[in-house]
Amino acid sequence: MPVTSTVSADGKEVIIKVTGRFDFAVQNEFRDCYHGVGPDDGVRFSIDMSKASYMDSSALGMLLMMREHLGGNSANITISHCSADISNILTVANFQSLFKIA
Amino acid sequence: MSENTLTVLVADDDVTNRLLLEAILHKEGYDVIHAEDGREAVEVFERERPDLVLMDIRMPELDGYQATELIKAMSGDVFVPVIFLTANSDVDSMVRSVESGGDDFLAKPYNRIQLQTRINALMRIRELYSTVRQQRNELIQHQKRLERERQMAKRLFANIIHTGSLDQPNIKYLLSPMSLFSGDILLAAPKPSGGLHVILGDFTGHGLAAATGALPVSSIFYGMTAKGYSIAEIVTEINTRLKTILPVDMFLAACLIDIDTTTHTLTAWNGGLPPLVVYDARQLTVSQRIPSQHLPLGIIDGESFSRRVEVVGIQQGDRIYICSDGVLETQNQQGEMFGRDRFNALFEAGLAPQELFDTILGQLSEFQAGSLQQDDVTLLEICYDQTLLEQRTGTLEEEESGRGRISAAPASWGMSLTLSAGLLKDLDPLPLLIQALMDLQGFCGQRQQLYTVFSELYSNALEHGLLGLDSSLKANARGFVEYYQTREQRLAVLSEGEIRIDIRHQPEAGGGRLIIDVEDTGDGFDVDSALLPLTENLGHAGRGIQLLRSICDEVTFQGKGNRVQVVYRWQ
Repeated sequence: MPVTSTVSADGKEVIIKVTGRFDFAVQNEFRDCYHGVGPDDGVRFSIDMSKASYMDSSALGMLLMMREHLGGNSANITISHCSADISNILTVANFQSLFKIA
Repeated sequence: MSENTLTVLVADDDVTNRLLLEAILHKEGYDVIHAEDGREAVEVFERERPDLVLMDIRMPELDGYQATELIKAMSGDVFVPVIFLTANSDVDSMVRSVESGGDDFLAKPYNRIQLQTRINALMRIRELYSTVRQQRNELIQHQKRLERERQMAKRLFANIIHTGSLDQPNIKYLLSPMSLFSGDILLAAPKPSGGLHVILGDFTGHGLAAATGALPVSSIFYGMTAKGYSIAEIVTEINTRLKTILPVDMFLAACLIDIDTTTHTLTAWNGGLPPLVVYDARQLTVSQRIPSQHLPLGIIDGESFSRRVEVVGIQQGDRIYICSDGVLETQNQQGEMFGRDRFNALFEAGLAPQELFDTILGQLSEFQAGSLQQDDVTLLEICYDQTLLEQRTGTLEEEESGRGRISAAPASWGMSLTLSAGLLKDLDPLPLLIQALMDLQGFCGQRQQLYTVFSELYSNALEHGLLGLDSSLKANARGFVEYYQTREQRLAVLSEGEIRIDIRHQPEAGGGRLIIDVEDTGDGFDVDSALLPLTENLGHAGRGIQLLRSICDEVTFQGKGNRVQVVYRWQ
């Protein structure tokens, strides 16, 4: 599975792991990982990119959709373990101003 | 299948056989018509267009095979099953039956059940055939209509998103869209005060959706540039518009630049594109990289949007490069990307500036080596050539479009405007002022000249009068950048002072004269030192007043240099 998610025991954190290419092909699976959560549920999201090989601008769009769904500025989303290339894509788009990049 | 009764043609020269078949078919509820030989069968078929044919093989005039060939030819792409009636089922006659277009056999003597089964099977095929044919025709119609619409939209799109002033000898560009409508846009427009505005943008996605987003970008970019707005104001407006219309997951990564030939500066706003590169034509190396410092357009609201721009000095012959990420993401046959490192290395080989663009294209296509293009690829090179940039080959958008506004005959009027520090901090009043003048009098074809006049007068009053900047700073490119940085800093904290603009218009035969007074509350400046002839000015400083003198009939300084009056005649 290119996108998998695990929920912490207390249900307050969801870790989404992306494997391989992070692009439009995985949009439904990616959306399913957060769709059931609302902005007021106080759930932290962490996107683990350690196994992601690549991301394109449609993936940036998917991240924006997720942020919007989880309450925009109040969304709690961390993107972690980015490779140099993915890190560069996020930096060029200045996504560090919208997401926590660990 | 329709509930209409099927019509069956029975072609047999043997009356007994025919009657037998007719009896069976009638009993089964079919309408039956008949023919007594092959030729009659063809004639009856042509006249009656039955749904199915039962064909004897041996008949006078035309035999069953010949009649079948003619009937099949006549029915075109409508499937009319032909069943051969045969006494013997030898291989030869079977082969001939199939060759002539027959669909099935029925051996004598006739069996009711067998006949009914064959007919039902063939009718199901006929029904399927007719459905497929109908769907195919609908598809063809649909495809034709779609293609017409696409072609029309493409023409419309090309007219709106025209490349503006890109077709000049100092500008090279590559635009290779993946589909009919590109997700990349590249627009250029001359500024009314001289110089050039350019936007290179890359929408998320490709095709029609991305192209639709390009329409408002184009109209804002051309419209506001023609009216004299700065790129900071233009980019803010584009962001606001795109935020309103784009879906959440769609945005525009873009770089806007302003190339100013009066100040020899490049002003850039980069949100989401690879770094802009300035290649120094003398040192043969990269003198500036302006990386993305902002979110792409259309993501955040006006409040948190940053319109901060970078200003750098440029010199004659320098090359400016901007590209979409499609360039860096060009893939080779192994699926490897061209990448930043290869791209940056191209600028580090000490190449002559005039070779760079073609070298980049060459390396890209060699790398790609025939593998499929994945993304829109756009690359732009602008050579900073002062003469070419000042020669305004393209006219301003507004004049091109000749919007046929009715303008008032030259009349006598006047207006005055007082701009306080608080207002000047946040607003460039020039575009508004020029627009008001254009609307009032319709100075046809005068916008650029008027803009230059007001721009010189206004920046003089603001920068020297209120901000106390020293134009000797502008003696070289580095000083210029410092000058503009100081300007921004001082303007941000400006708390007192004002600029008064007084405009009077007097009609003359076929035109009129504008008398413009601009006064500031500053300390004035040393007029004499600013009045050196143009040739002694190395281009960076003091050109303003000379420029005014070349456009206006009279330029006079009054008071301590804090008040200037010019007279501008127009036809």
